[in-house]
Amino acid sequence: MTGAELTIDLLAKHGVNEVFGYPGGAIMPIYDALYGAPVKHYLTRHEQGAGFAAVGFARSTGKLGVCFATSGPGATNLITALADAMMDSVPLLAITGQVPTAAIGSDAFQEVDVLGMSLSCTKHSYMVERAEDLAEILQEAMHLAQSGRPGPVLVDIPKDIQMAQVPFKPWLAADEYLPELDLAQVAIANQLLHDAKQPVAYIGGGVQAANAQNELMQFLTKTQMPAVSTLKALGSVMPQYEYDLGMLGMHGGQAANIAVQECDVLVCIGARFDDRVTGNLAKFAAKAKIIHLDIDAAEVGKRKSAQASLIADLKTSLPALDGVLTPTQWREHNKAMMLKHAWRYDYPGEKVFAPYLLNQLSQRMPQTGVVCCDVGQHQMWVAQHMKFNHPSNHLSSGGAGTMGFGLPAAIGAQVARPNDFVITVSGDGSIMMNIQELATIRRNNLPVKILILDNQRLGMVRQWQELFFDGRYSETNLSDNPDFVQLAGVFGIPGQTITKATEVDDAITALVNSEGPYILHACIDDKENVWPLVPPGAANDEMMTEKA
Amino acid sequence: MKHNLTIALKSQSIAIERFLRVVRHRGFELHNLQLTMVNDQYHVEMSVDSDKPIYLLTTQLSKLIDVKDVIVNDKQHTAVAI
Ligand SMILES: Cc1ncc(C[n+]2csc(CCOP(=O)(O)OP(=O)(O)O)c2C)c(N)n1
Ligand SMILES: [Mg+2]
Repeated sequence: MTGAELTIDLLAKHGVNEVFGYPGGAIMPIYDALYGAPVKHYLTRHEQGAGFAAVGFARSTGKLGVCFATSGPGATNLITALADAMMDSVPLLAITGQVPTAAIGSDAFQEVDVLGMSLSCTKHSYMVERAEDLAEILQEAMHLAQSGRPGPVLVDIPKDIQMAQVPFKPWLAADEYLPELDLAQVAIANQLLHDAKQPVAYIGGGVQAANAQNELMQFLTKTQMPAVSTLKALGSVMPQYEYDLGMLGMHGGQAANIAVQECDVLVCIGARFDDRVTGNLAKFAAKAKIIHLDIDAAEVGKRKSAQASLIADLKTSLPALDGVLTPTQWREHNKAMMLKHAWRYDYPGEKVFAPYLLNQLSQRMPQTGVVCCDVGQHQMWVAQHMKFNHPSNHLSSGGAGTMGFGLPAAIGAQVARPNDFVITVSGDGSIMMNIQELATIRRNNLPVKILILDNQRLGMVRQWQELFFDGRYSETNLSDNPDFVQLAGVFGIPGQTITKATEVDDAITALVNSEGPYILHACIDDKENVWPLVPPGAANDEMMTEKA
Repeated sequence: MKHNLTIALKSQSIAIERFLRVVRHRGFELHNLQLTMVNDQYHVEMSVDSDKPIYLLTTQLSKLIDVKDVIVNDKQHTAVAI
């Protein structure tokens, strides 16, 4: 068996039936081995598209996402997706072709030191130096991407090794060191829970990574503790939970942010006190004792020190917490705050109001559907105004905030979940960053829906220019964009443009009922802002809100 | 504050690059570095300086797949293996 054949064979043996990629010289033997193989390859139109499709595949299923690229520019085009997967702890395997071993270090055609480039954007990476190591490396790579705190792993395979005869060596998972729960810390945590008068659960992406939604809901159901979520956690807390305060942080809800500022115990469950969450860190949850649950010891005490740290798989650590019932007064107070600060959808203008549109879409699309966001104001509106019942139904580029994420991530999600409703919610800026992937949708007849919230602006940047740069609108005007419905039409994708509030309901009906791919181009006010907003340097209870 | 660390690494040059990148990126200045190959592993003696507490570095280093062992040898610390 050649190295290339072994690569495809191992993927198939590990249940990888779909991969995303783009061929080129240094990876041709692997593409040759793909020809007629049981592993289905989806050709994207840019390697970044392949990387994000693999991310979408992984995030919408919890399974390993796999992408291929050739050496040099192929591999560099993957880097953004690797960085994104690193920030958001996504199990991803990237396989890149490399120039033949003998040519490495000679500045050969399409030679880039991919291993060197990978260091800051992968959990681990390899360049295969000897044919006999290939089998072991690939198996270890697949394992590492998914074990412990998941992340992207890159395997760079020189062309001669792809062509060489290689032995198969079974590799027995020498597990990454995973910590055992420290019972002394559990005791401290439980004492804090018993003493707490105003506890809050702060939920992060770790819940999805650990597949611990059940354990989380058991903990919340017993404690009735008010819960706030990070962008990545949305969907982890079931929408019917009475004390779900929604997203916290820079564009979080007021009830969520105020609860955290007032709490006396903060139970951080698989989150990392990211700066977009905390605002001014010194003032974040300043009165609270922290109980930190995470599988990654390096996250505990990184930004905020914890009084109790449970470093373990959430499936183990969550059930170790006592189900102390939260005092009624605090629960009722938070419920009242939720009502007081509830989102409002009564909008005076005649234009399309994005929050209303998204809220309606959320109510009318299937509950099992997947929403893949791009980055900007529309992304924050999705987080604020749509409800999810599982984090694998809301894919949003969190840590990296990568524009161009949405469309290819939706392709990956649709491939992974062919029978589910998949929609990308994008902006007029973001959609253009991977617009070429419309061709991938068409080639594979994927029924991906596309909603573009078009403010003719790089809206999020424009908002900051308005608020913090004296209205000097430097390079944020996109009013010369092409007609998106016409553009999609060229790729055989039907759709419509709407401009008025009165058109929204029918447009959602058309979108939700469309059989194949469909684009809804919604023109919105270019001056609309995302509220509330915690300005830079401020504490989370110093939110700016819309001027009346 | 200055800290002395002993680290055992997989004996591949990429392992050195990987761990040195983390030292720099996490905000620790390298003052001394000695590298010896012992029994198929790199044995590293290193001193670093930073305003940050040393656990912020050791927890990050311990996560690296190539890093087999990290020990802080400061007098004021009891040696901790992570
Ligand atoms: C790759 C990349 N480049 C630049 C940015 C900075 N950025 C953040 S939001 C934004 C504007 C996005 O515009 P659009 O997609 O139209 O969304 P809107 O905010 O208008 O809803 C920009 C430029 C980014 N996040 N990612
Ligand atoms: Mg826009």
